Amino acid sequence: MGKKKPRRNSGEGALSITSMMDMMTIILVFLLKNFSSQDISVKSSADLQLPLSSALKAPKTAVNVVVSRVDVIVDGVKVMDLESTTDEVTGQATVMVPEGELKGQLITTLYEKLLDKAEQAKDIGARAGGGEFDFKGQVLMQCDKRLPFSVIRQVMYTAGQAQFSEFRFVVIKTRE
Amino acid sequence: MSKGSKRGGEAEELNLVPVMNLVTILIPFILMAAQFINLAVIDSTLPAIGAPVPVEEQPEKPPLNLSVVITDLGFTVAGAAAVLNPEGPPVEGAPPAVPAEGEEKGPTIPCLEEGCPTPQSYDYKELVRLLGVVKDEYSDEENVILVPESRIPYEVLVLTMDSTREDPNTMVDGAPRLLFPFVVIAGGAE
Repeated sequence: MGKKKPRRNSGEGALSITSMMDMMTIILVFLLKNFSSQDISVKSSADLQLPLSSALKAPKTAVNVVVSRVDVIVDGVKVMDLESTTDEVTGQATVMVPEGELKGQLITTLYEKLLDKAEQAKDIGARAGGGEFDFKGQVLMQCDKRLPFSVIRQVMYTAGQAQFSEFRFVVIKTRE
Repeated sequence: MSKGSKRGGEAEELNLVPVMNLVTILIPFILMAAQFINLAVIDSTLPAIGAPVPVEEQPEKPPLNLSVVITDLGFTVAGAAAVLNPEGPPVEGAPPAVPAEGEEKGPTIPCLEEGCPTPQSYDYKELVRLLGVVKDEYSDEENVILVPESRIPYEVLVLTMDSTREDPNTMVDGAPRLLFPFVVIAGGAE
């Protein structure tokens, strides 16, 4: 024993990898279990906390509108900033669409962007020959849970004007 | 090969280094793709286009048009041109109340705390119970109109949609009893 060890160390420098291998295998299995190929991805941050819900319906791909407490993002591209103010009645911090962006209830920059998206989707639908790819006017809404309804309403109204009429509110599942 | 045969006498050690390399590269990839939060969606349509209920067959009962107004005082449940009472469904032949009158009287289901400071202070359990009573009366009805006030946080809206969709306390065939799964969000009360 005493003779063998120093000889092996100097000769090959063999590291005992087996235990590390065990650990890696366990991590790999754990991650594979968590691996799920969902159609949509969510980048959670301090400004985008999705609400919890008991809904079970699985999300499907659609035009992705993210309304966080600081900005509005359509399909990964930032469209506009939101303005933080204080509520006149309650005095609490709240969020609103900047006055300059609004035309009545319509958010003009968002409207133009969504109109583009609708045109694109229709084009794709026409080229694919209808069926599954037909434009159905679906929009995935990822909204921060603290947003006031007025902002959500303006975004919904704008989407409605741009021919998106089916809303899918993305929520975090609380049950299986 | 020659090395292996030379060391054949000793315990054979597997060369795990390439496997290690592979696993080490795999882990970051899978880590990136792993979803630690489970997502779901709640469907809703715009009032103008949504809820295309066929009007050919005239039901004996008038259409319910169930609506839930969410204010910072609580929920006001109205349907069939009358504000519902927490005690039960509207009595047949009862004088139809104008919704505005109901609002003056205060909400059907007041908040648990004065002024509803948090999303949890709304009385969702009572809303589920009341809608269960309505559903008993109008078992074919599946639509509900939500009318939130401008200041109502989005979270309250989602929790209300959860409450109007199903009753978790009553099980039918192993699943929660469906109440009014089709939600239409209306422009909102100011």
